[in-house]
Amino acid sequence: MGATAEVPTGTARGLGRRPWVLGLLLALLGVGVFFSPILGTVSVSPDTVLRILLHQVSGGALFSDPCAGASVPASGCSGLIEIVWDARLSEVMLAVVVGAGLGISGGTLQGVFRNPLADPFLLGISSGGTLGAAVVVVFRIGVSEQNLLLPLFAFVGAIATGAVILVAARSRFGSVETLLLTGVALSSFLSAVLSLLLLYSPTGSLQVDFWLLGNLGSLDWTQDGIAFGVVLVAGTLLATYGRELNLLQLGPDVAQSLGVDSRKVRVRLLLLASVTTAAAVAFTGIIGFVGLVSPHVVRRIAGNDYRLVLPGAALVGGGFLLTARDLSLVAFPGTLLPIGIFTSFAGAPFFAYLLFRRRGASTMGTP
Amino acid sequence: MTGPTGSALRLRGVTVRFGERTALQDVNLEVPRGQFVALTGPNGSGKTTLLRAALGFLTPDAGSVELFGSEVLRLSVAERARRVAWVPQEENPREDAPLLDYVLYGRYAHLGWLQGETARDREAAVRALRAVGLEERAGDGILSVSGGEKQRAILARALVQEAPLVLLDEPTSHLDIAHQLDLLSRVRELSGERGVTIVAALHDLNLAARFSDRIVVLSRGRRVADGVPADVLSEELLARVWGVVADLRRDPRTGAPYLLPHHLVRPAPSGPGTFLGKGPVHVVGGGGSGAPYLRALSEAGYRVTAGALHLLDSDLETAESLGALTAVEVPFAPIGDEVRERLRTLLEAATAIVVAPFPVGPSNLPNLEEVRRLLGRVPILLVDRPTGEEWDFAGGRARALLAELRRGGARPVAGAAEMLEALAAEPAASASQ
Repeated sequence: MGATAEVPTGTARGLGRRPWVLGLLLALLGVGVFFSPILGTVSVSPDTVLRILLHQVSGGALFSDPCAGASVPASGCSGLIEIVWDARLSEVMLAVVVGAGLGISGGTLQGVFRNPLADPFLLGISSGGTLGAAVVVVFRIGVSEQNLLLPLFAFVGAIATGAVILVAARSRFGSVETLLLTGVALSSFLSAVLSLLLLYSPTGSLQVDFWLLGNLGSLDWTQDGIAFGVVLVAGTLLATYGRELNLLQLGPDVAQSLGVDSRKVRVRLLLLASVTTAAAVAFTGIIGFVGLVSPHVVRRIAGNDYRLVLPGAALVGGGFLLTARDLSLVAFPGTLLPIGIFTSFAGAPFFAYLLFRRRGASTMGTP
Repeated sequence: MTGPTGSALRLRGVTVRFGERTALQDVNLEVPRGQFVALTGPNGSGKTTLLRAALGFLTPDAGSVELFGSEVLRLSVAERARRVAWVPQEENPREDAPLLDYVLYGRYAHLGWLQGETARDREAAVRALRAVGLEERAGDGILSVSGGEKQRAILARALVQEAPLVLLDEPTSHLDIAHQLDLLSRVRELSGERGVTIVAALHDLNLAARFSDRIVVLSRGRRVADGVPADVLSEELLARVWGVVADLRRDPRTGAPYLLPHHLVRPAPSGPGTFLGKGPVHVVGGGGSGAPYLRALSEAGYRVTAGALHLLDSDLETAESLGALTAVEVPFAPIGDEVRERLRTLLEAATAIVVAPFPVGPSNLPNLEEVRRLLGRVPILLVDRPTGEEWDFAGGRARALLAELRRGGARPVAGAAEMLEALAAEPAASASQ
């Protein structure tokens, strides 16, 4: 035997397994997080931003006066620190966390439904979560505990939508098309309810585009922390199911014959993906297509083993949303536009491409 | 195999219903360890349902299924996977994966939570790939290999699963004849070398007879036959369960029985495009007397059967040229029990019987005796015999039988044209089945 375990590596696309790509993605994301606060709605010189960041990260050890040489506003250096650290960096971190949550949810949903077009936005889970969160805002439920109630209601909305999708997927009409159409119908319906709710709310119609198009602004570290905590815990749990998702790709029955409790695992994964999505959208509103695009990018560069796809989709999703934020600020300096506009600009054509490719290729049958 | 005790598989009074339809009806089955069981029966007879019940995929409406002494539904999904492996008829993976990884999926039930595959697991996978002749293809994607290679990879996966029982559901249905033989030979080896118990649903009775120790026949959800291939395979079984008339032969080298399916005696349960023609109509003749009627029937769209005839009889030549199924005896010998049995099968399958004006002697008198058994059950047409010509060489017994047939309702016809008219008037005889 001995050297017989030496086997040729795959040449076909997606067959190779390249775990090191994840390390590269993580490094890139770190660089992105560090440099992204340079961009913002008010002008602060890049070197000042980086000095402030290093000052804060080192606990004040580096650059005892990070604002030296900069045009300091009336509030003094602490005002600048507030802009860079509390406003920009928390915004940057939120972009990464939300993107990561949507990315890993998308990867999970694609695996659970064995469908490359599944995505928390297209399946209506994002809309369900957002609707839940919006209910808290519109009806002014527990104003002082909104940081907790927003995600909680978002969980309820997202999980309820997930349950409907699961029922639709289980019915005897549970083809790929049925699943997507159910999701699109649910998504539209929930968005309509959301719009109606917001238009007639006392807070006024300005909120509508905030919730429907996604927004990263006006958040603080507490909200970041909640989103980060939930996405980290649920996302880590999701990432442990890579092997089960690999086996589910053979079909639920085959997976079960190999030892995966398909029904239990699928329900659990859908629940976790809903929670992750809810945490992502609770403070930001609907941000589309991140969950669709990210897993596909990972498959291309790291291989299609779900043990890599899930963590990879989180990293790519975080990077995707961060890039969207930065591009938005470069293209329209001075304002942070709803972030969902940018993700849809990139995501919708990609969706069309996947749909087209799927039609072109011989269909692999329905699940 | 060490480990759990008891028979590899035991079904006790298993009944499974899907809504109105009963897929399995009170099925009892015990498969001892190490046996290769071929499970067979027509489409919809319950083969797949039985396998799915054995895998714990469905809950029977009544009865229980045990794997090595434990009720399958009480075992955890992982424990089931350690006891029984499955080779499905068709598998459509959604993601490409190298064959080696695909085979390694079989190790899942043996690995702990988050535990990666060890070098031992990978070696086992490579060994399994070698056992199915795919070692060189280990790095190729499952979506890029041929159907036969995919089936072999799935078999390799079942090997590394190390389950003492392997269930195969029509594993050869998408394979050509060479790959069918190849796959089943490998399964046979597996069963022999490793003492693995095999239950394989197989459409092909000849493959089943050739490779299995035991054939279990299901029909409409019931176990209707069970035993060693030589005992189970019979023309009678084929006619009864599949509605197919077939010749049973024996492989001169191995002595194994094999069947030459011929035609249908009743329509297949479903499926469009099965044009069967009318009949079959059985012609009793001999010495060239049956040939005109066989030809006329065949031209009119009837399927025909003939016999019993002696070898070298010109009627036999005609019948065979028309693709008719026949009962044949060696020349000059009286019709023996075996040929008589076959004649009976053909007569019972027929929608009408035509008795040609053949000379009757002691050796072929059983033809008329067998026809008499069917009086009142199918239309019998007696072709008029020319006057003044002696034809009863059986000492009057032939005349007596013919008279008895006439009294019992058999209808005389003057010739081929009148025979066809008479058949057309019999809806049961001429119905396109």
